[in-house]
Amino acid sequence: MKTSDKIIRHHRLFRNFPRLQKLQITIFIPVILLLVITGCSGKYEELDLSMYHYRDTKNLVKFVYDAAQFLEKEGGAGLEYFHNNRRHFRTKDTYLYVYDMDFNCVFHSGMENLENLNLLSIIDKNGKKVSKLTLRALEDETNPHSWVHYTWWEPGKFFPVPKSSCHFKVTTPEGKEYFVGGGINYPQEEQEFMRINVDNAAELIEEKGHNAFVEISDPTSDYNHREVSIFAFRPDGKILISPVLEDSLAKIELLECSDEVGNKPFVKAVKELQENNSVWEVFLAKNRFRRELVKKCMYLRKAVHNHEIIYVGAVTDLPNPP
Amino acid sequence: MSNKQRKFEYSVNEVPPPGQLLVLSIQHVMIMVVSLSIPILFCSQLSASMEFTTSLISLSMIAVGVGSIIQSVGIPYIGSQYLCPNLCGPSYFSLSLSAAWLGGLPLMRGLIIVAGIVEVALAPIVQKLRKVFPTYVVGLVVATVGVSIIKLGTTSVFGLAYYGDAIRSVDILIGVISLFIMVLSNIWGKGFLKMYCLLVGMVLGWLLALILVPEYWYNLLAVKNSPLFALPSFGPEFRGITIDLKMLIPFIVIAISGSLKSFGNLLAAQKISEPDLKEVNFVPIRKGLIADGISTAFAGLIGGMAVDTSSSNIGLAGVTKVVSRWISVVAGAIFIILAFSPKLITALSLIPKPVLGAAIVFSGCFMICTGLKEMFSQKWDTRKTFVVGISLIFGLSTAMLPELYARSPELIKTFFTDPLPTTTILAVVLHQIFNLDKMFTKEKKE
Repeated sequence: MKTSDKIIRHHRLFRNFPRLQKLQITIFIPVILLLVITGCSGKYEELDLSMYHYRDTKNLVKFVYDAAQFLEKEGGAGLEYFHNNRRHFRTKDTYLYVYDMDFNCVFHSGMENLENLNLLSIIDKNGKKVSKLTLRALEDETNPHSWVHYTWWEPGKFFPVPKSSCHFKVTTPEGKEYFVGGGINYPQEEQEFMRINVDNAAELIEEKGHNAFVEISDPTSDYNHREVSIFAFRPDGKILISPVLEDSLAKIELLECSDEVGNKPFVKAVKELQENNSVWEVFLAKNRFRRELVKKCMYLRKAVHNHEIIYVGAVTDLPNPP
Repeated sequence: MSNKQRKFEYSVNEVPPPGQLLVLSIQHVMIMVVSLSIPILFCSQLSASMEFTTSLISLSMIAVGVGSIIQSVGIPYIGSQYLCPNLCGPSYFSLSLSAAWLGGLPLMRGLIIVAGIVEVALAPIVQKLRKVFPTYVVGLVVATVGVSIIKLGTTSVFGLAYYGDAIRSVDILIGVISLFIMVLSNIWGKGFLKMYCLLVGMVLGWLLALILVPEYWYNLLAVKNSPLFALPSFGPEFRGITIDLKMLIPFIVIAISGSLKSFGNLLAAQKISEPDLKEVNFVPIRKGLIADGISTAFAGLIGGMAVDTSSSNIGLAGVTKVVSRWISVVAGAIFIILAFSPKLITALSLIPKPVLGAAIVFSGCFMICTGLKEMFSQKWDTRKTFVVGISLIFGLSTAMLPELYARSPELIKTFFTDPLPTTTILAVVLHQIFNLDKMFTKEKKE
């Protein structure tokens, strides 16, 4: 076909353009209007989820937030709705629960037998006092969605399951106070979870100084969860809470530590902390089961107690894009 | 002319009318945009400033644009003169990140320049390998080029942002509908609908995504805050070029692997542009590899990320039967212009992942089938069965069983990286081994 033929054919198609324009007006304008109406009315405008990477985490927060909003509006009738529509509030890996502030379970979509029980003294497999951690998280301003990390199990199974739960406090129209929570099995490790732990530990150090170290080092405290544990050191590299073994066994020169490609993350981070209050640093680590190096990140925060500067930090995995 | 009428809408040296040339180029730019996620991800992992990120994206886009132009326009000794645009090379990503952590951008730049020089040096050697690439091995390499985009295409159609994360059914729906629009426009469409099938699918898919997922709608707000025009700023990070011997070997290995990948892409581009060739013409392949190496070195020199030839764009050219190399030239020019407009870059980078995934799968189909057709166009025998079978089994295993190779001996770990280089190396070696008797007989006769 000659080029001129092609142009003619092309023009013929464009002759129908007025018809296309009509089609555009009848179909696309309503679609755009619909978009403006539905798309712009943000149901979650007040809910900041920008700190999370994973959809699983965002979905859980939205799920619990929706339920909390509903309970706050409907009160007792809302609770009744939860009881009558139990299956709508659980999936294979997530579920919803409602407790009063004394830790009496008023609704549990996954384990009905817990309802009407007081679970204030509940302790997980690793010794974490789940109730105490939850009540503290609800009051914690650095933890806006009141995250708590612990181990649980799936009914009918016999092995512990790592779990992360978020919570929202509500006051019903009848004036009753509850908190609505939702948990997810096998959660992804969000950088935000580590940020909360480190910021809380830094605040405790600013308040109590070296006396805070015992509490922060306690693996059952809310400063440590799963593989994320807090460490602390002075600007000269002197370790106060070790990230690994006690340094009395083997001297650890934190500032000299390097990653798999020779990068010195502590040197960079400490330099940046001279000007900023906190810093994120990425580094590479070996994983025996993966051919490439894995990316990890470190969050360091500066704490000052009686003019003594202490750096508090932790390490976690970074999300792995495909 | 009648032959051309049957095979192409626009053949390799034909220049489409300006309007069509522009729209066809934009269609290719839409696929090239996929690779912009690489500098974005790179900067996010370095916790880089907004200014640094914008500059790195701009400089990488300039390198991609220049690379696409020199690959297709054809200057003496350089450029394949096929429709074979460039993109930011994903194979260099991890090593570039390591280099940047170790020695900042100066080290990354130095090592990318070295990688480019290695690619240029390898080009004449490839031409000498004429005998080790019989037609069925060429077909296998081209098919594997298509196979190598399976991971990116599938994860994108599913809208996956991070491994292990939730997948939304609505994303799969958007991806599948976009793919069907592209395919059906290509099968049943005529005229511009057939020619612009990918563009039509992407635009409609994007609209569908905006209707179904409010998140995509909100993301568009970012466009409002970006300036329409901005020059890349050369901050202190962009000054200096260094080299570290520790990182040199890994970069050379990746450069060899990148050359093999570009070799496969250029073979595919040749098959698509000149289907009547009885044997591989290694001259444009060599010139193409030189252009690829120069583009990579240029990227390092100006401070952008390493570039690579794009399999998806070659596939798109094959599907639409529009193989004019001038499309690649204009697409390159558009990429350079876009590099100075953060607003447009932001808008394009917001194309929903499932829609991009559909475009990648769409173009991958053609690569796989062109390769298979080429492979089986020859008389088949047992030797070929084993060459192809063994190469494919071990080549694909690198993608299917990465954890196996994580524990394998260092030599295997170094060369068995991706399906494409692994399959190519194995096919070439096995073809020689399984045909030793024939070679001896031939030599005896001579």
